[in-house]
Amino acid sequence: MNGQPDAIPEQKSPRSSTPGLGWEEFSRELVEFFASIKLAMFLFLFIAITATIGTVIQQNERPESYIQEYGESTYRWFLRLGFIDVYHTWWFTSLLGLLCVNSLTCFYKRFPGVWRSMKQDRVSVSLDFVKGMKQQAEVSIANSKEVVAQQLAQHFIEKGYKVLAKNDPGEVTLYATKGVLGRVGAHMAHLSATVIIIGGLIGTYYGFQEFGVCLEGQTYHIPRGNFDLKVDKFWIDYHENGSVKSYNSTLTVIDGGQSVVTKTISVNDPLVYKGIWFYQSSYGDSWDQIEVARINIKDKETDKVLKTVDLEWQKEQAVPELDLKLSITDFVADFAFNSTEKKVFSKTVEHANPAIRLAVNERSTVQSTPWIFYQFPDLFDIKESKYQFELVGYKPKKFTGLQIAKNPGINIVWTGSTMIVVGITLSSFIFHRRIWMKILPAPEGVTVYIGGTTHKSQIDFQREFRKLTEKLQSLSASPSRISGA
Amino acid sequence: MVRSLFLFDMTFWLYLAALTLYIAYLFARRPVMTLAPAGHSADNFDERDGAWATQLGQIATLITVFGWLVNTGALFTRAFERMQTSGTFAPWSNQFEAMAYVSWAIILGYVLLELRYKIKAIGAFVVGIGFIAMGAASLLPYRYQTAEPLVPALNSYWIYIHVSITLTSYAAFAMAGGLGVMYLFKERAERRGSTSRFYAAFPDLETIDELGYKAITIGFPLLAFGIILGAMWANYAWGGYWSWDPKETWSLIVWLIYGAYIHARMTRGWEGHRAAIYAVFGFLMVIFCFWGVNFLLSGLHAYA
Ligand code: HEM
Repeated sequence: MNGQPDAIPEQKSPRSSTPGLGWEEFSRELVEFFASIKLAMFLFLFIAITATIGTVIQQNERPESYIQEYGESTYRWFLRLGFIDVYHTWWFTSLLGLLCVNSLTCFYKRFPGVWRSMKQDRVSVSLDFVKGMKQQAEVSIANSKEVVAQQLAQHFIEKGYKVLAKNDPGEVTLYATKGVLGRVGAHMAHLSATVIIIGGLIGTYYGFQEFGVCLEGQTYHIPRGNFDLKVDKFWIDYHENGSVKSYNSTLTVIDGGQSVVTKTISVNDPLVYKGIWFYQSSYGDSWDQIEVARINIKDKETDKVLKTVDLEWQKEQAVPELDLKLSITDFVADFAFNSTEKKVFSKTVEHANPAIRLAVNERSTVQSTPWIFYQFPDLFDIKESKYQFELVGYKPKKFTGLQIAKNPGINIVWTGSTMIVVGITLSSFIFHRRIWMKILPAPEGVTVYIGGTTHKSQIDFQREFRKLTEKLQSLSASPSRISGA
Repeated sequence: MVRSLFLFDMTFWLYLAALTLYIAYLFARRPVMTLAPAGHSADNFDERDGAWATQLGQIATLITVFGWLVNTGALFTRAFERMQTSGTFAPWSNQFEAMAYVSWAIILGYVLLELRYKIKAIGAFVVGIGFIAMGAASLLPYRYQTAEPLVPALNSYWIYIHVSITLTSYAAFAMAGGLGVMYLFKERAERRGSTSRFYAAFPDLETIDELGYKAITIGFPLLAFGIILGAMWANYAWGGYWSWDPKETWSLIVWLIYGAYIHARMTRGWEGHRAAIYAVFGFLMVIFCFWGVNFLLSGLHAYA
């Protein structure tokens, strides 16, 4: 770090001169490689660059939309490279894995040094070492070396430093240090990457995420939790200006035949039961049910509207004056017909071509169940009937979209997240400072040689150091000479 | 609405005035390159300034502080207006407010920096960025500037902390970007052997470099915290803490870019020139993450 002496010297053990590829040599090189900051920088940047791909190319779309936008051959390349689901490709996952290996190796290689310097540190250093530091000064003080040492130690202790002293014949060496926690923080951050990724993996393998479309009044079985969920109510709140304020569902959990919890969930306020979370995720118009429909009953001959009725979903309603009984039995939002199965279904969830199936009972003799189209009123005709039925409007039933998720790894992820935030914060705001002082006898009193280093925040340290030398001067009773760095 | 918009407008003009004054300060007549005594380079910038420069510098600082107070007032007023229309108060709920908040945070950071290190020359660059942020906010169409009620997904107490912390980290990176530009200016002048008094007010390269680094070491944990709060919010609102949505991916990208920087600082050769260029590049990425993603890419976050 800025090429200054470090308490954790690179462990360059003497190498054997034979250039053989021994296992030890190899494993040392391997650790060296995986613990290197260069690899870390490469990974950081490479992950950053590849992560942009998924933000530019829409992920997990249908093939047609890629072909339409990029052409067929490009799409084939996308498939080959995994660009349509970048974040789950083997190579992207490997990069993340490599980052874990990298930071763990770094921890393995460097943390013991940090630990040692927390426990014990190098006190005795040579005079040249002190003089060679980036921040250094030399002060003469007319006092005995014991007194000066005492006062200096006192000063540093007051400033929150840890002070170690060594009394050698003819000289006293003081060592003051502070802020090693900053380094510990860095290593906490290094471990956190792996913790987060482990939590993520557990979530992927043992958790699930599903989307459920639920209707008011229905009860759904949740097989993964082995309980039932009843949707009591769904509604939307609006702001004064008409925009949606929130949408809400009242849910009741039924476990073992009994109602256990009832809660109204809304966006940003989920229900949690047995580790399964129910989120208010969306809402929409149901595509196979409606609440009411408005029907015009026309006289075929005169083409006059005889009556308009509002029919509720699957409830028979009598129109006595026309001798009719009507009910809506089915609804599709986007009419389509499967000719092999002879079944009507909704092609999409959009209300593109809505149709209802009307059960008509006329004078108890004519019975028919025609499909009536909103957009094509004349399509179906009941021959024996006097009347023509027209669908003039309907109110779709709203469904509530619930996200149902369970993630057993989540607390591990949050643990790792806390580690990363605390770790980086410690390392950003606490910097490791080490100051050595050598007190040597001089003709009148003592000369104090003082030198210090930090691994970052040089200007703050420079200020602190200047204050310190000023303080030293004030300690000396006699005029002193100072030489700053 | 009108009241806060008036105050935001006033902030804009005050920042413009402050920026002009800081630039004038740089051009003001002062003794050419009186070098401070060794070891005293960081502290005694006032001593280097001549009479004019000193006065200009003082007025610039005053106007900046005043502008910042008006900015604060504008944000509070906006919070109050939000409270009335929709019952939430976070005055950083749309692009316009977010930019006004970022410029507030940049200027606050600058004022603190000036108080601590007494280097006014930085104002020309950093107040400049704060001003540009405020200016870009004012250029947004009116419909973006009003306090529309929040869409349900944003209507949560998480918005208070997640958004403000992320935006504060952007401000720190903006500061580092400004210092990077300043470094490159000064470096070029030195290489050409310029003795222009323009540069006499600049701190030495090492100080600019260190301050830039410091700004990044403040932004880096803030962004990490902001991203994680975002993940917690997502877990609460969407049912998954990470969905690789463009906005969250881009903030991770920005974080990784600065992560590379933090580690690069520890290897030789990554101070000074390279670090300055990198800080400017990083800031451009922040701008993209902040603006570009909202306007160019689609996703769950595109609420502006
Ligand atoms: C995975 C995410 C990582 C995060 C969040 C992270 C974070 C940090 C932080 C905040 C620091 C302190 C920087 C400073 O003091 O200015 C640091 C230091 C360091 N990082 Fe990382 N880092 C990560 C990965 C890595 C990797 C993969 C390596 C592999 C070489 C690495 C190597 C180092 C080294 C050697 C230090 C200096 C440690 C010390 O001061 O004793 N980091 N890291």
